[in-house]
Parts: sequence; C-alpha cells; structure tokens
Amino acid sequence: MRKLLFIFSLLTVAMAANAQYAGYTPVADLVKFKTAFAATALKTTSIKSDFTQDKNLSMLSEKITSKGNFWFKKDSRVRMEYTQPFKYLMILNKDKVYVKDGAKESKVSTKSNKMFQQINKIMIDCMQGTMLDNTDFKTRVFESKINALVELTPVSKGMKEMFKSINVVVDKKDFSVISIQMLELSGDNTIMRFTNKELNASIPDTLFDIK
Amino acid sequence: MHLFRIPYLILSSSLLFMLSCSPAHNQMQSASADVNVLQKFKPAFTVALYNTTVDVMSNHLSGLLLIKKMPDSSTRVVFSNEMGLGFFDFEFAADGSFKVYSIMKKLDKRSVIKTLQHDFELVLMNNLDNSKVEVKTNKGLTYFIFPQSKGFNYYITNQSGHELVRMERASNNKTIVEAVMKNYINGIPDTIGISHKTFEFNIGLKRIER
Repeated sequence: MRKLLFIFSLLTVAMAANAQYAGYTPVADLVKFKTAFAATALKTTSIKSDFTQDKNLSMLSEKITSKGNFWFKKDSRVRMEYTQPFKYLMILNKDKVYVKDGAKESKVSTKSNKMFQQINKIMIDCMQGTMLDNTDFKTRVFESKINALVELTPVSKGMKEMFKSINVVVDKKDFSVISIQMLELSGDNTIMRFTNKELNASIPDTLFDIK
Repeated sequence: MHLFRIPYLILSSSLLFMLSCSPAHNQMQSASADVNVLQKFKPAFTVALYNTTVDVMSNHLSGLLLIKKMPDSSTRVVFSNEMGLGFFDFEFAADGSFKVYSIMKKLDKRSVIKTLQHDFELVLMNNLDNSKVEVKTNKGLTYFIFPQSKGFNYYITNQSGHELVRMERASNNKTIVEAVMKNYINGIPDTIGISHKTFEFNIGLKRIER
C-alpha cells in the first residue's frame, strides 16, 4: 500500500511539472540548453522591437493594455518608450536610469535604488541571455517544439517581496525573447510581448544617452 | 525614488501637523442650502484609468491608477507603475468599510494606508451622511461639512451650487488636505488633484482614454 502511495505521489509530481505550462515539457538536457542559449545570445548585439504590455487584474476582471517601442544594445543598454495610451520613457544605461513621465524627468543610479537595480538586471539578463545565471532566482526550463520557457522563481528577499515568479518565453531558433510575464503575489500579472523584432539592427548609441 | 522613505516622511509630517494647528474657516457663518446639490459632483465611476503622479517631499513616483465600481457596489482603487508592478489595491465598500487587498511591502505602514484611505474617501464621496451635515457660508462660497471619525470633510461649492470649487479634509481648526475634481465627462472627472497642506504630498490624476 505504501509503495503504491509513493508511486502515486511521484506520478502526481511528475504530472504537475508537465502540466504546469500547457504544451511545454521540462528540458531534458539543461547543460546543452544553457550552452546553446549562451552561444546564440553572444551573437546578438542589439534588438529593436515593438511591444504590447497587458496588466491583468485577476480579481477585477480588468486588463490594462499599453504599447510602445523597445531597443536593446550591448552592453547593458535598454530604451523602453511607451506610446499608448500614455507616454513614458525609461532608459537603462549600465548603472544609470533615466525616466520621463509627462514633463517630469528624473535620473537615478541603480546603485542607490534597489528596485530599479532589480528591474534593470531582469531586463538586461533577459536580453543578453544571462538570466539562467541570475542568483536572485531559482530557474526551471521547459520547452515546446518551437519555444523555451524559463521560469524564474525569486530566492532573494527583495525579489520575493515583488514577484511570485517571472516567466520568460524565448524562440528556440534564435533565443530571442518572445514574452516576459511577471506574476505578482496578489495574483495579478503583467505580460510583455515583443513583436516585429530585428536582431542586430543598427541602433545609434545616442538613443541610450542619459544627459 | 527612495520608496522606502515615504512611510517615514508621512509619519513624521503627520506628527508635525498635530503640533502645529492654527485657526481656519473661523469666519464662516451658518447657512441653509440643499445638500443634494453635491450628488451631481459625486464621481459616477464604472471603470476609469488615470495617469498618476505622486510627489512626496521631493520624491517623485508615477504610474496608472484604476478605479472600478464592482457589482457589490464597492469601489476598487488599484495603483501600479507603468511596467505593471503593483503598488496597492484598496477596496472602499458601500457600507463605508475599507480593505487592503494588496500593498507593496515598502508602503505597508499604517500611517501611509490611513493617509491614502482618507484621501480617496474624500474624492469618492461614498459616505456622505446628509443627516449630520452642517452648512455654512463665507465669501460667496457654501461649505457642506460632514463630520468624520476624526475631523471633517468639507465640500465647497459656489453660491449657486453649480460648481464644486474644492474639497477639504480638516481638523477642528486647520485644513489638512485640499482636493479638486475638474472637467467631468459623463459623470467622471477628467482631472483629480489631492494636495496635503501640512507637508509636501501631492497626488495628480489625469484620465486616460483606453
């Protein structure tokens, strides 16, 4: 009877892991996946893309959709420009952050602001393909025929206070990011989907200038 | 933005306020006016999204604030940053009760929650007990004064009652908060401003068409 129970619980755990993300199964060879991911990411020097962001408020049955443009350039430079339904600009340039909301401009150093430091690190890690090495998270990787899903579960105190998990879906063809989903402790979640991607497009450095 | 500093700034400023009261509204005279004129200024929220800025003691925060009337007649007020990270989710029930569904750990302080609760209660105008209202007048303005558990909420109209000039939360003798709601479209204000008088704490809301 005990043996049966043990087998049953093993099966339940295995099924739960498989059923967690529809269409995805755990990656069998994680080392091989990491190596391929890192090698491909190494070849990506810039990304230019549009994005659509949906914030899903589960208990309110509401969705807030916003859209904008995204640029990434090695090393550690990101520009996100929200254009609809509001205007908001954020530039991450190494350890500096520039934000413009409406007419108000602000500059902060990620060294003195932990929240921006963490957001900065997640964004850069996702684009540079180094998210599997981020020690703030425990990672699990799943795959479908065409995509891979990296589940990042926070282990550091600061991250645990903000997120339940962050799921990053990448295209297995070029390991470019398809979507980033942030699941909050409240049950709400935000998913950012990247479309019209151009890898290694020519992007002027001035786009990331923080004056 | 040093988010962790906000609770302490609000707490220290509240203490400063308690020690520094001075007379205000003491030139008002008793008057009579129909309190029902206020009904047309009560925001008829179904669901509205606002571009929001918060300025606290030289610190600046921005994001999106969603206000939604729920099927049980409660009102939910949800604030998150532009990237979707939630700051707080409050419920203002029809019976006047208040519930925190979620709040970012760094803001989860009694002084911060109480301040935000009272600020939004003032503008939501949910619990105006007409049986307790006192009406006064001063300099061509009509003051509808509603006693609260602590202090009073003032709704100040022009003499004809056609315009809501401003709202105030006050103690016995000093204004704590001033608020305005402007440019109503289908019963929902396009612009809302909340300004604390005892320390720098301003909330600005500008409605976004979705």
